[in-house]
Amino acid sequence: MSSYVIVGNPGGNRIAFFQEALERRSLPPARVAAWADIIEGRARLRDIVRAGDCVRIESPGRDFEVERLLLAAGASETPSGEGLSPEEARSLAFERGRIWFPRQWYLGFQCVLRQIEQQLSECPAHRLTNGLSDIAVMFDKAQTHERLRSAGVSVPEAFTNVRSFADLTARLQQAGWGRVFVKLAHGSSASGVAALRTDGRRMQATTTVEIVRAGDELRLYNSRRLRTYNDPREIAELIDALCRHGVHVERWLPKAAFGDAGFDLRVVTIGGRARHTVVRQSHSPMTNLHLLNTRGDLEAVKERMGSSAWDAAIMTCERAAACFPASLHAGVDLCVTPSFRHHAVLEVNAFGDLLPRVLHDGMDTYEAEIRAFANREEL
Amino acid sequence: MGIYEHLKHFGGKPVVNWESGDFLENPSKMAYRISISWEENDADAKWTDKFSQFLSEPNVGEVTAIIVGPWEGAMDSSGASESAVEALVAAHGKLPNLQALFVGEILAEEAEISWIQQSDLSALFNAYPLLETFYARGGNGLNLGSPTHALLKTLVVQSGGLDAEVVREVLGASLPALEHLELWLGDSSYGATTTVDDLGPLLSGALFPGLKYLGLCDAEISDEIAAAIATAPILGQIEVLDLSLGTLGDDGALALISAPSLGKLRHLDIHHHYVTPEVVERLLALPISVDATGPETAHDDEDRYVAVSE
Repeated sequence: MSSYVIVGNPGGNRIAFFQEALERRSLPPARVAAWADIIEGRARLRDIVRAGDCVRIESPGRDFEVERLLLAAGASETPSGEGLSPEEARSLAFERGRIWFPRQWYLGFQCVLRQIEQQLSECPAHRLTNGLSDIAVMFDKAQTHERLRSAGVSVPEAFTNVRSFADLTARLQQAGWGRVFVKLAHGSSASGVAALRTDGRRMQATTTVEIVRAGDELRLYNSRRLRTYNDPREIAELIDALCRHGVHVERWLPKAAFGDAGFDLRVVTIGGRARHTVVRQSHSPMTNLHLLNTRGDLEAVKERMGSSAWDAAIMTCERAAACFPASLHAGVDLCVTPSFRHHAVLEVNAFGDLLPRVLHDGMDTYEAEIRAFANREEL
Repeated sequence: MGIYEHLKHFGGKPVVNWESGDFLENPSKMAYRISISWEENDADAKWTDKFSQFLSEPNVGEVTAIIVGPWEGAMDSSGASESAVEALVAAHGKLPNLQALFVGEILAEEAEISWIQQSDLSALFNAYPLLETFYARGGNGLNLGSPTHALLKTLVVQSGGLDAEVVREVLGASLPALEHLELWLGDSSYGATTTVDDLGPLLSGALFPGLKYLGLCDAEISDEIAAAIATAPILGQIEVLDLSLGTLGDDGALALISAPSLGKLRHLDIHHHYVTPEVVERLLALPISVDATGPETAHDDEDRYVAVSE
């Protein structure tokens, strides 16, 4: 009977739900190594992980202290003047929704993942539920997109390395595209996303980002309220600000609509198989559930799609997951186009399995993961 | 907000998507939607080519109802309806029984209503003398001319921001058979310029003697429209007043409640409105049926928005 070690943020619902799932399967509670303790060296995995353990890496998000530490860890890899020094990062004051330095955060996160890898190499034989390099790639939207594309998984067309608003508009004109999503390369959920459309004369950006001017500094905040910018100068400012942090730009595909709203699907794959699926309905370009959108009727959507289109969509999700072979689970976001016959993968989320109360075969995602992992050969 | 679903019936007939190679099994009993999907658009398909294939069906002459869905470029706002309209006009000899036509049934996810690129649709009225039902969606570049048409019963123009010029064109039209007129006026930030004064000739009741259904929907000026209608001759004539999707508040609702007479009015539709619950109660007490679903709340008048604009 193996027991679990979780690297995560204690006190969050992810860990609470996972512990409940362990209890339902009559397994001992997981021992938790806090991200903050690992990063700061207050805890070492080799003192925690025992032979035969399952090690689960959980999201470092929703904990501002961890945010600070990851930014500080990224400071050494960020050219000076472009981000925060380690001291500045450590003393950052919390501001709700503030987008700090996603690129620096990501470099710090990569650095900490390497630290964990190093520590795990000193541990007795254990099994890891999600590969550290997979997690690192999934937190880079451009890399993820490229990995899927080169594996032949259907994804929206994308522009690489968009540097600025001027660069983007030139490329839009050249490609004849009227609509794109501009996403922070290292944002999660709807953080720092702008849906941009133009007919060649006017332009509009719908976004979760709020720009606040403080002297000559532009501050970006994520908000739950969508904003619409119609003034090209404001849009340019927004896109330029996002580009400075690094963006992934892809074609904004039309979504199929059902029940008087557009929708996309979050499909959680576990052990390579598509399992828990949620229909995310929205009247806005962002279907992320935390933006107060609603869950639609999966059975009705399946019926509307018909079995061959549905099976093809599921196969695509599983092929996307197969691009991350060291990961027990992945949260695949899938867009179905209005014909209901075609689809494309929008995102793959490393920690996309938080779907409270969504059951598949009578189990939530966590319980299904525990079971799948127990039945699995060594990764 | 926006329109996310296709019509299931059009011109009184069930709608089917027509795809190349489909037989017309019951052409006089169906409405045919012809569109260029996102995938077909990517493969450089053209609406006019698909329409030519449709026209080559041996029994196409029996078709009575056509819906023009997205044409190429519609979803990128790069293509206008122009070539589709030209092809429709040129096809009039092959479609002698066409009674219902919808130009631009494009859903919000494909292109929001204010991003649909329309064109001059005026030639369609002369091309199809048996037309009874005509719908257009999208106000950009839209032109209807001032048609003269003996049989047209239903005219619906859905827009997120209609230019007053289009409204004036419609009000200058000669449509003796018109029974159902529905204009979505929209939001001034998306090009709506119609004022209550522009609607004066319509409200006088002299333009369309057979009018039974008047829709002035999706309007920023719903209160003013309601106040004007409350004392206008048109109220002695229409059976349905549709002020839905707009910004109707207590002022407009109270004006209707205190109208000297509701004339022949049987039904009032205000769904998506800003009327307070107490005043809604008073509306519901009127001797007509009232659809007051979709109450919205706003901190002040500035905060009210129409349902369909983007």
